[in-house]
Amino acid sequence: MPKNAPALAVLTAGVAALLLLLGGCGSESSGPVARSIRTISAHPDITIDHVTGGLHSVQQEANIAMEKTRNPGAGGDLQPLHAAAFVKPVGEYRTYSEREAKGAQRSVTALQADLRAGDVAAAKRDWLDAYDHYLGLGAAYGALGTLDEEIDGNPGRLPGGTRSPEFTGLHRIEMGLWTGEAPARLIAPAAYLTAKVDRLQTVVRTIEIDPLTYATRAHEILEDAQRDMLSDVDAPWSGAGLRATANSLAATEFVIKTLRPLLNGRDSTIEPVDNELARFHAVLMGVRREDGGEWPSLAALTRLQHERIDGTLGSLLQRLDDVPGALEVQRTRPVPTIAEQKREKQ
Amino acid sequence: MSEIDRRSFLKRAGGVGLGGLAAGYGLGAATTEARADESPEQAAQRVNEVELSTTRDFDGVHQAGILTPAADFSAFLALDSIAGGQAELITALQAISSRARELTRGGAFPLTEYDAPPADSGTLGPSIAPDGLTVTVAFGASLFDDRYGLGPRRPRHLTAMTAFPHDNLDPARTGGDVLLQITAGHQDTVDHAVRELVKPVRAELAPRWTVAGFSGARRGPSPHSSKRNHFGFRDGTSNPDVTDPKAMDRLVWAEKSGGEPAWTVDGTYQVVRAIRMHVEFWDRVGLHEQEEMIGRKRDTGAPLGGEGEFENPRYDLDPEGERIGLDAHIRLANPREPRTIDQRILRRAWNYSEGFDAAGQLDVGLLFVAFNQDIARQFVAIQERLNEEPMVDYVTPEGGGYFFAPRASRDPSDWVGSGLFA
Repeated sequence: MPKNAPALAVLTAGVAALLLLLGGCGSESSGPVARSIRTISAHPDITIDHVTGGLHSVQQEANIAMEKTRNPGAGGDLQPLHAAAFVKPVGEYRTYSEREAKGAQRSVTALQADLRAGDVAAAKRDWLDAYDHYLGLGAAYGALGTLDEEIDGNPGRLPGGTRSPEFTGLHRIEMGLWTGEAPARLIAPAAYLTAKVDRLQTVVRTIEIDPLTYATRAHEILEDAQRDMLSDVDAPWSGAGLRATANSLAATEFVIKTLRPLLNGRDSTIEPVDNELARFHAVLMGVRREDGGEWPSLAALTRLQHERIDGTLGSLLQRLDDVPGALEVQRTRPVPTIAEQKREKQ
Repeated sequence: MSEIDRRSFLKRAGGVGLGGLAAGYGLGAATTEARADESPEQAAQRVNEVELSTTRDFDGVHQAGILTPAADFSAFLALDSIAGGQAELITALQAISSRARELTRGGAFPLTEYDAPPADSGTLGPSIAPDGLTVTVAFGASLFDDRYGLGPRRPRHLTAMTAFPHDNLDPARTGGDVLLQITAGHQDTVDHAVRELVKPVRAELAPRWTVAGFSGARRGPSPHSSKRNHFGFRDGTSNPDVTDPKAMDRLVWAEKSGGEPAWTVDGTYQVVRAIRMHVEFWDRVGLHEQEEMIGRKRDTGAPLGGEGEFENPRYDLDPEGERIGLDAHIRLANPREPRTIDQRILRRAWNYSEGFDAAGQLDVGLLFVAFNQDIARQFVAIQERLNEEPMVDYVTPEGGGYFFAPRASRDPSDWVGSGLFA
């Protein structure tokens, strides 16, 4: 999970692409434009006269970018949003998180009872429920401090891996349940987990998520799913990667729902996002239907199922990454050059 | 030309290396200087011949492959010792040095009986071109456990590599008793060496993991421009000067005092990290944010607000991080402050590409290598500063290890690691 998305304003995709052309030559005088066009080709004999995928020549693109840098907001660029616009979406997400945290609390309490009773089948069911609810907090992880690692940490980050005494939380219990460990040995880790999930209740009530972080979560929750869950890194013993991805999708759908009023009319971002969300949703539900209404483990997926899931998720992510750009809050100030800072110091 | 003739010829010609002069192996004398009367194909062929005939001495004081300019292709091969005792282990290490020395020199190999398997796989043809091959032998901390009685001789700063907070180390791709770093100018030379080196030691050294690396072509704009990694950024811009023996004594070679066992003199600690790079995710990040995370321009490699790749980023002028963020990668990795001068490492890096992962994502990354005098003082201190950099979301270290690369073999009768058993 991205724990600390950089808190900086994201340029719109177009300007960002054009910075490539302007890179390294400053942006204040008219001279560097022509020079920068030459420097995009390392080879002096190769001239690049068209920007791939664009409608303008390199010269036109560069001119437009220069104008935007000198005169932010001109040329039909989006007006930056006021940070206050995010109060309502983040508030709605907070309420959603509180509900999920409560759900997680119920599940881990039940899990503890199952382990005491030695009922492994029930413990597995309750473990999966707890994991489901915890993943609903996807947009809030960065605000949870050390609790996230304590509840959901993976062993790979610990010296000693699975043998580390610090390996605890959900995945410690997952390892035990799915590798045939005696339930009695999991009671202590479950008690620890319960204490942490209890604490989670108070933490989520007061979480603050800054606007850019919240907008960035629109794609980062599912970036994590693709990186860690569909590759079987995050929940290797239970094989619950697909179920976890479905939960991450649900959290993303909720984030988009809260941002919808802000996205309407901004760069036509929302329509393709909605289409891709619906398509990925349909693919996941189709897989579940094919498996009799249960989430299959990753290992049980057919090649075609896996390919369709990976493909539609990749395509969805390529739409979701437009969201932070469309919701930029403050324009990035021009970065001072070394030369300017030298002059300032004198 | 005999072996001795060839070597003295090389010395007269001003040593080894690209841009020098080399000969042998039926390739004829070659030079990289442009000639007016030749076609591009002829010129390319001539440069190819120079590259293929480059030799790096296996014997000497320091092992080749450390201060040597990074070759374009590499492979890292970690081996677990299954030798039954010290004598068997020694035999295997001798065999590694002996075969490695032959391969780095090149030349024709002896033909055996026509109905017997040939002495060499033949993948490089009947006469092996040296191609700048280096084979660097190093030992992991696990070799110094109780199996071979080497415990008391463990290099003072050598430990197993433990995970940092954002690592996801796969034990099957981490550690190992013996590490071979193999580098050369072409991939087939590296692959050939791997195949030839494991062959004589099958009963003693079992392959544990391997990763193959490559670097980008020299795409300029200058011959010194650093090559790019999978994120599209230039990699390895800031490195200590390997031609400065004082700096190397301070940063790379094992301390001559301070409790290091005598056999470690002229050796160095080697850190290897296979760092997966989540490039699909990275490609969905705005260029501006990418550059802020790194602290450099993607196209030129210049520090933000600067003009050229090798310009000093001048953090002194930017104490608040207005130009280069305080958590930018280059700033955390090397803050260029007096207190961090002794933390610098000699850094080498190759890209790797291993296909796709289970989720259909490109399994590509960076083979990061650091040579340093004291892993805790240098590599670990730097890595701990990088624990919370924003880039951690886009990379996952998955394997590698800490090793100690001893001094080189003195001459062809010696072998790398002999000092450990003396």
